[in-house]
Amino acid sequence: MEKIEQEIRKTAEKLLTDNKVDVVVGYEEGTLPAQAVPVVIESPEDADRLVWNAFCSVNLAKYVHDIIFRHRESQKRVKPEDRTKKVVGIVTRGCTSRSLILHLQEKQYDADQVVMIGVPCTGFVSKKKLSHAVEGREVTACTHEGETLAVTTAAGTTNVPLKQVLADNCLTCRFNNPVISDILLGDPAPPMNADTEYGEVEEFENLTEEERWSYFKKETAKCMKCYACRNTCPSCYCKVCFVEQSQPKWVGAGVDESDTEVFQVMRMFHMAGRCVDCGSCSEVCPMGVDLRKFLKKLDKDAFDLFGYRTGESLDKLPPFGAHAVEDKQDFIYEPNASQ
Amino acid sequence: MTDDTVHEEWQPKIVAFVCNWCTYAGADLAGISRLQYPPNVRLVRLPCSGRVNPFYVVKALQEGADGVLVSGCHPGECHYLTGNLSARRKFAMLKNFLAYIGVEPDRTLFTWVSASEGEKFSHVIKGVTDKVKALGPAQRLVKRF
Repeated sequence: MEKIEQEIRKTAEKLLTDNKVDVVVGYEEGTLPAQAVPVVIESPEDADRLVWNAFCSVNLAKYVHDIIFRHRESQKRVKPEDRTKKVVGIVTRGCTSRSLILHLQEKQYDADQVVMIGVPCTGFVSKKKLSHAVEGREVTACTHEGETLAVTTAAGTTNVPLKQVLADNCLTCRFNNPVISDILLGDPAPPMNADTEYGEVEEFENLTEEERWSYFKKETAKCMKCYACRNTCPSCYCKVCFVEQSQPKWVGAGVDESDTEVFQVMRMFHMAGRCVDCGSCSEVCPMGVDLRKFLKKLDKDAFDLFGYRTGESLDKLPPFGAHAVEDKQDFIYEPNASQ
Repeated sequence: MTDDTVHEEWQPKIVAFVCNWCTYAGADLAGISRLQYPPNVRLVRLPCSGRVNPFYVVKALQEGADGVLVSGCHPGECHYLTGNLSARRKFAMLKNFLAYIGVEPDRTLFTWVSASEGEKFSHVIKGVTDKVKALGPAQRLVKRF
C-alpha cells in the first residue's frame, strides 16, 4: 500500500504541474487516529499530503460532483467565451469509479472534466466495528501491519485482525478494482467474497413480516434526520433535495416516527438501481442505523429483475431510464372473473 | 348513546392512481353500465401510469390510506407509447421493497385495465377492497400527529 501511496503522490504532482487538472481530490491523514479524510489539493507542493491506506473511508465521487457544479454556478455571470471548465483529478477505487460512471451516465458532466487515478482497494476500516473491537474505549493510536491492526487504548495495545473490522460492504465487494480509470496504478487487488454479498438480505427475507417491520421500525427510530447519509452519498446530488421541498412536503418536520420512516423509504428508493454500496452512508451515520440491510435489497432486486449492477460499465444504463417489453409482471393483480 | 345505535363496521379507504386514457375511461364505462362496485375507492386521475411517482404511494400510505392501487393501460397500448412500461419497472421494485420492510404486500396493488374493460374495473375494485378489508386498518407508516 505504501507503494501505491507514493505513486499517487507522484501522479498528483505531475498532473498539477502539467496543468492537466485544476485540483486533485484524495485522502489525507485525519486529526484522529485510524482516520483518513478527504482533501482537495490545488498545488503540486501539497501532493505529499495524499495518503492511501485502510482508513480511507468515504466515497470521493461526491466531491468531484460538488466541485464541478460549484464552478459552473460561479461561471453564470461570466461571458460564454470567457468561461472555463474545471478538470478534477480523483483517487479512484472500485466503488468510486462506479459512482463516477453513474454521474457520466446521468450526464452530470463530461468525461473530459475528470481524470481518474485508479487504485486497487482491499477495503476500509469501519470506525464502529473498530470501536466495538476495543469495547468502546477511545483509540489513541492505530497502525496497520499486514492483516492486523495494532490498536492502542487506555487499556494497552491489542492486535485486532483486519478482517474483523473491515466495513461490511468491503467484505463482499465485487468491484474492488476500478471499473474505469484514466491512469491505473499498482497491481489488481485480490477479489473479496462477492458471492456472499446478498447473504444478509436473503436471511432477512426469511423472517416473518412482523419481524421485518419491527426491525425496520427499530432502526429508523434511531434516525435523527441529520442527513449525513444524504450529504455523503455520491448518488444524492440533487440541487434541491426532496427533504427540503415544501411543495409537496414529502418529509414532515414533526416528531412523528412515520416522518422519519417515510424519509428513509424515500431516500432508499431514490437509490434503486443507483446505489454502488460504497458504505459511506453507514460509515457517517452518527446513530448507527443499519441502512445497508435495506439498500442491499434494492441492489439485489435491480440485479434479479433487470440484470443490472450500478456503474458496471458505461454502456449499461440504469434500469429506470429504460424499459423492456419482456419485463417481469407477475406482481400485477388480476382479479378472478367471479368477483 | 341510545340502545339502537348501530356500531359501524370499519370501511377501508383506498386511493387509486389511474391513467386518464385507459383505466379512468374504464371506470367511467363501469359507471355508465351501472355496474356495482364497493364505494371505498377514491380515484386520482393522471395522464399516464408512468406519471405516478412511487412516492405518491408511500405518501398515501402515510396519510392514512388503507390500500393504494395504481392502474394503467395494458403494455403496448399506452397513449404515450411507453409510460406504462416505465411504471411497471418502478412498481416492481417498489412492491418488493415495501414488502421487504414489512408493509403488507396486499396494501399496494398494480393492475392493467383498458378503456373497454368496465366490468374488469368493477372486479378489480371489489378484489382490492376485499383484500384490504381482510388486512384491517393500516398501522404501519401511518402518521398520527
